[in-house]
Amino acid sequence: MLWSRGIAVAALTAIATLSGLTLTHAQQKETARIAFLGPLTGGNSATGLGGRNSARLAVDSRNADPDRRYDYELVPLDDECLPNVGIQAATRAATDRSVVAGVTHFCSAVAIATVDVYNRFELPVVVWGAILPAITHGNDYPEVHRVNGSMLDESKVLVEFLTGLGYKRWAVIHDTTDYGTGYLAILREKLAGSDVEILSTFGVAADQQDFSAELLRVKEIDPQIVVFAGLTPLGVRVRSQMDRLGVRSQFAGISGIMSVSYHDALGSLSEGTISVHNSAPLETLPGGQMFVDEYAKAGFAEPPEPYGPYAFVATNLIIEAIEEVGANREAVRDWLNTVENRNSIAGPITFDEHGHNSVASTKYVAQDGRWVRWEDSLYAAGERMLSGR
Amino acid sequence: MASENQWVIASALVASLFLSFGIARTKAGRDFAAILQNSGSWIVLLIPVAGLAIGLALHEEHFALMMLATVLIYALACIGLTIQFGYAGVINFAGIAFFGIGGYTAAVLGGMGLPSLLVLLAGGLVSAAIGCILILPVLRTKGHYAALITIAFVLLFRSFLEVNHTLGGPQGLRVESATIAGQSLFTGIRIGSFEASFYLNYVLLALVLLAIFFLMARFLEKSWIGINLDSMREDPVGAAVFGVNVAYWRIMSFVIGNVLIGIAGATFAMMQTFIAPSNFTFQQSLLMLAIVVLGGIGNLWAVIPAAILVVVVPEKLQAISEYRFLVFAILVVLVLRFRPNGLFPRSMRNFRKEVGQ
Repeated sequence: MLWSRGIAVAALTAIATLSGLTLTHAQQKETARIAFLGPLTGGNSATGLGGRNSARLAVDSRNADPDRRYDYELVPLDDECLPNVGIQAATRAATDRSVVAGVTHFCSAVAIATVDVYNRFELPVVVWGAILPAITHGNDYPEVHRVNGSMLDESKVLVEFLTGLGYKRWAVIHDTTDYGTGYLAILREKLAGSDVEILSTFGVAADQQDFSAELLRVKEIDPQIVVFAGLTPLGVRVRSQMDRLGVRSQFAGISGIMSVSYHDALGSLSEGTISVHNSAPLETLPGGQMFVDEYAKAGFAEPPEPYGPYAFVATNLIIEAIEEVGANREAVRDWLNTVENRNSIAGPITFDEHGHNSVASTKYVAQDGRWVRWEDSLYAAGERMLSGR
Repeated sequence: MASENQWVIASALVASLFLSFGIARTKAGRDFAAILQNSGSWIVLLIPVAGLAIGLALHEEHFALMMLATVLIYALACIGLTIQFGYAGVINFAGIAFFGIGGYTAAVLGGMGLPSLLVLLAGGLVSAAIGCILILPVLRTKGHYAALITIAFVLLFRSFLEVNHTLGGPQGLRVESATIAGQSLFTGIRIGSFEASFYLNYVLLALVLLAIFFLMARFLEKSWIGINLDSMREDPVGAAVFGVNVAYWRIMSFVIGNVLIGIAGATFAMMQTFIAPSNFTFQQSLLMLAIVVLGGIGNLWAVIPAAILVVVVPEKLQAISEYRFLVFAILVVLVLRFRPNGLFPRSMRNFRKEVGQ
């Protein structure tokens, strides 16, 4: 009797254990890995870390959803904003077959260098920050997409904005990377035939420290506005030295300077700087407030920076693709190529035949240590004045 | 990448450091170093044999093979720097510029359909020819001043590339991959059921180049030329008194070193298939020099472990993102604190044995 009861208990225990194992197995989901590539060290790391945090937020949010098909894991890789390091990191991500897709690059020089790698190893990617048009338009790779618009979108708004404010005599300081030089070429093209005169252009190295020679010349020709085409670290140096050398022209920069660290580094000197960006203020985006709240709740040490929402959108798009078609590179690539009017926190996303999503750029001005949409600013209201008008 | 455990990486790092210190401190280690240093030329075969074994073991791993090829290519460039800096005492902070000249030569000539081996050689020769611009100022200065001239050159080189649109300007240039005997190195080796990544081709190419130039540098070191260079480095005035043509040998070492760095640069560009000016910063030059200093100035064998340390460790620390360079920098500082002459300092020349050979 005791024997048979013992056997019954053992059998029940075994069944319960097996059922438990089966249940646990059913609950376990396959892991889909998504690579994030951006500058996590060096002068542009503020933007890179903001992008990485935003991508992580998208992954963590989806992992909290019990109805998801997969568990998601973000694989952050540092491209250092250097093409050779970028190629190395891209190869690392692309050759790891467990990585389904990538959210890639802020620096245009790196993004343009790595497109061949993604194509060669068939890794679908969505660019979250680099704005050089050639990244999507210079090739016909079906793997390469971009959510954040290009400098074509941005420069159009910049030119209309500045000419609308009455700035007719410009000096342009640009970095000599493809970013700054490419922007200068587009500005020249857009200003051709207008009544704006570019008095002089100055190409400066991205790591140049002293701008006395250039700025003394700027002071001599006395333009109404100095337009800067480059990234934040360089922009900070140029703006602070303008002040030191007494250059009183208005200062405007392209989206490369639009970073929280611009205000941190310059303090009150950042006041009145004009810029444009392919992203509207977070609070005004369709899901922007949710992003702001969730980002704050996640407790990241670094701010999302203006490009953070695009990293979030790019990651979410990839996750949506994986949820729909499975963790398969080819299927995800094909899904991305059919994206049309897909809702996101940055507005609807549509990839054209080049994988490019055009966006409406927004005008900004630095006001009290923040980037404020021009229309909402005290400058637009006439309570504060820009220089050089 | 998926299977990479950070604890495994950290343990491997610590173990390799202890091994390095062990080799230098224990009798067995010193004996091993002596064998490497004093054996005949056959010992150089260790490089291709070990490289081939690792390459074959990793034959399907694209990324690991790419890193292996990168280590070998950097080791080749650092043999060039060792000839300049370690043997002749000619300071060259422009290593990355000569590496870039080789790369750009490959980009320009590779597109013209020239045989790839010829392009590689041209990379070295053009690098040496452009380096000749620096010969006069480097000869007329010494110490810090000579270093400053090479620093200026690397800065000028990058600026020149960024404004030169014939060479792709700031956006850079695509580079044709190498083709040897009608076979593109971007096609993986396939023999029966054996299928290898195309990066194995570049590992093999880099191994052959490294073995050849390693052997050449070893012959140079052990010959009367090496003795001239040593004497000149230690005491140029004394060497001149004994009839050594100091200017001539400084020029020769600078030119030979640049040929090797240029060939390495051309190989690297062909493997990466893209080249841009922002790759050639002064910081990159310092990293290259760090390989020579960390390994042990003048020790040819030491460039290989040091290249592994400088190229692979930052990559393996990717998981700690923004902290990886902090960890790497601490590691380098610790090495130099406890081994100021590098991990494997160059041993004293055993002149009697060398003459006996």
